[in-house]
Amino acid sequence: MTVHLSRKYGFSATHRLHAKGLSDAENRTIYGKCNNPHGHGHNYEVEITVAGPVDAVTGRAVDLAALDALAAREVIDPLRYRDLNEEVEAFRTEVPTTENLTSEVDRRLRAAWPGVFPSGTPRLEKIRIWETERNICEVGPL
Amino acid sequence: MIISKKVEFSASHICRSPHLSDAENERVYGAAANPLSHGHNYVIEVAIQGEPDAVTGMILDLKRLKDVLEERVLAVYDHRLLNREVAAFENVVPTVENIAIDIWNRMESHIDATGRAKLYSVRVHETNELFVEYRGEYRGGE
Repeated sequence: MTVHLSRKYGFSATHRLHAKGLSDAENRTIYGKCNNPHGHGHNYEVEITVAGPVDAVTGRAVDLAALDALAAREVIDPLRYRDLNEEVEAFRTEVPTTENLTSEVDRRLRAAWPGVFPSGTPRLEKIRIWETERNICEVGPL
Repeated sequence: MIISKKVEFSASHICRSPHLSDAENERVYGAAANPLSHGHNYVIEVAIQGEPDAVTGMILDLKRLKDVLEERVLAVYDHRLLNREVAAFENVVPTVENIAIDIWNRMESHIDATGRAKLYSVRVHETNELFVEYRGEYRGGE
């Protein structure tokens, strides 16, 4: 009996969308106000979906305390109240768009997953990140 | 095509397993293990799969779906202590995972007598930060 369980977390951070390979004028055209040299911030929401069977004793598909600790350690604590461009290694080269941020969160969780869930159950199904109410990015099977 | 209907109910539950020690229950369920119970406003989304009828333009009779939800789910769950008052949870912990499975089992054979429309998924939101989706025993692993 596989269920899909989703848990939501939040963090606030600053970013600036500016591609080093483009001219200042091109950056302004592509990213608009997100190119502001001083940066700007968002309240990001991160939804992690796992898939797995429901344990017959506990009735749980995932150890929520372990998932919360993993999300805090790998994602929320390292990113909250940070300047993503300046303080997160991945964004020294990549532009911290919601697309790249979602991929980075996916990479971090997948790398740490076997350490927390060595049996491979539950599996990490997908990541969704809300940059705003209207701007949402998803990585994982649709 | 998939059509979804959303309804709410309020209920209390106790997340404790008789097969676990007090310490294990506290670790697995955290504050939800309180033996005196606690409650939530649950939101259920029931998704139905089918093709619109050539004459009516509808996948199924939504009034009938509303009646089925009321009779099969809300009348059983709303304003109840799930552990004591819902038979499915006599020996099963009423986690949000097991609630989704029970609602699926209650709804599946009552969607459409003609078999044209069928249950696709049941989502149960326990809080804004936590929800589960169940797609039945056979398609769950997809």
